[in-house]
Amino acid sequence: MAKQLAFYFDQTKCTGCKACVIACKDKHDLPVGVRWRRVAEYSGGLWLVDERTGTMTQDVFSYYTSYSCNHCDDPICVEACPSTAMRKGENGIVKVEPEICIGCKYCAMACPYSAPQFNEAKGVMTKCDFCSDRLAAGQTPACVAACPSRALDFGEVAELRAKYGAMASIEPLPAASVTKPNLVISPHHRAQVSGTGTGRIGNPKEI
Amino acid sequence: MLHELPLVIFTIAAQMSAGSFIVLGLIHLLGAKVPQETMDRVTDPALYAVGPLLVLGMAASTLHLGSPLRAANSLLHLGGSWLSAEIFAGSAFAGLGAVFAFLQWKKLGPHVLRQVLAVLTAAVGAFLVFAISQVYSLRTVPAWATYFTPVRFFITALLLGGLAVGAALVIAAQRREAKGVETPEAAALVGRSVRGIALGGLFGLGAKYIGQPAYIGYLGTHPEQAARESLDLLVNTYGVYSAAQNILTFAGIAALFFMLYRMADGNAGKRLMPTAAIVAFVLVLAGEVIGRMLFYASMVRIGV
Repeated sequence: MAKQLAFYFDQTKCTGCKACVIACKDKHDLPVGVRWRRVAEYSGGLWLVDERTGTMTQDVFSYYTSYSCNHCDDPICVEACPSTAMRKGENGIVKVEPEICIGCKYCAMACPYSAPQFNEAKGVMTKCDFCSDRLAAGQTPACVAACPSRALDFGEVAELRAKYGAMASIEPLPAASVTKPNLVISPHHRAQVSGTGTGRIGNPKEI
Repeated sequence: MLHELPLVIFTIAAQMSAGSFIVLGLIHLLGAKVPQETMDRVTDPALYAVGPLLVLGMAASTLHLGSPLRAANSLLHLGGSWLSAEIFAGSAFAGLGAVFAFLQWKKLGPHVLRQVLAVLTAAVGAFLVFAISQVYSLRTVPAWATYFTPVRFFITALLLGGLAVGAALVIAAQRREAKGVETPEAAALVGRSVRGIALGGLFGLGAKYIGQPAYIGYLGTHPEQAARESLDLLVNTYGVYSAAQNILTFAGIAALFFMLYRMADGNAGKRLMPTAAIVAFVLVLAGEVIGRMLFYASMVRIGV
């Protein structure tokens, strides 16, 4: 049994197809507007000027980041939640107890990954539960299973970090120091470290 | 601009009621030499207005809940969540205030006991204002996670509380006068209290003026992109509202100054006092409501 589950995301493989988003929505039957996993497109660039020849060359970049709840070690949602409905439990998975949640949305205000999402019909917060039922049945989370380029994976955080390093501070995500996310990223070759970004999110309405 | 309207109403009402209670306490404290009977006659009518205001605010706050029937669950994370502390402090302030108002109304129990209860209620009210400020001091929201938030909330509490009490005192005094039951001692106490409130209000509004550029500087030089986005919302997207807030602050200063100016005239100025007190209160209230709407509208969190 894992002590702390984490997602692994290989930014070099992601094509931004959003199959993970749709697989998640389908698996959890999420209504329109509620997304437990999202894919952000981060893009930017400038002109490189060659004074010698008087020419300019474009130097644009764009990369995708698929992210969900990162089941943080320092989960600000759990800290903020006034009802204790938000809790960190088995396998380090952060879950909402729907019978306790009062739907105040304070967790959504606090989380820098927009992980807690309000379900209007249910009147409570909902979020990624790491597909606990699929895990119990020996399956992989729906998003991981759906990824056509095998950019997503999951596992015990210590093992993932030993294998891929401990990077999680990639724009447009916040610095990992804020909530200590259990997320391991293999960065895109043009990826920028959180806080030093020169680009912007290209698809703000999709995330 | 209509972001989180129930929370705008709740935070303003809670801060105004806490501030009113504290200002009434200060009047009692500074007027310790005034006969008890006179003091109660002057200040009690204002006291009874505090409770309904807070209850209105708390009721409004449940409107933003997805499952309001479970609102009591918000107390379960006491000691961990500032939001739980805020709800607890609000309930405790309402409960203690209600007990105090009832004892004061019926003049039950020894005077000292009622005073101890009043000090305790005022302390809980002050803690409530602090707790509200900590709810919004989220480390993921640079525009809120700053000492400006508690300072701003305490200024709002004392400004609105003070001016509400001032207006209530003047209106109650006018009623007594109409009935022909006003005593010279009571009239003098009202005059002193309103002068003090107007002077304090000028300082509060002045602090807002000084704070504004400092806060804009804080946002402009913050390393997080989110802070600059908040600044852009305040200055560009909602710039008209920011300007309106500043104009109302200035109009409030003018109204308070006019009041003090007329009062210096002696009896001649007193006739205008109820109007001036109400106008000053309404102007400052309008400015504070717009300010609080901007507070929520300029919320930008770091990350995605």
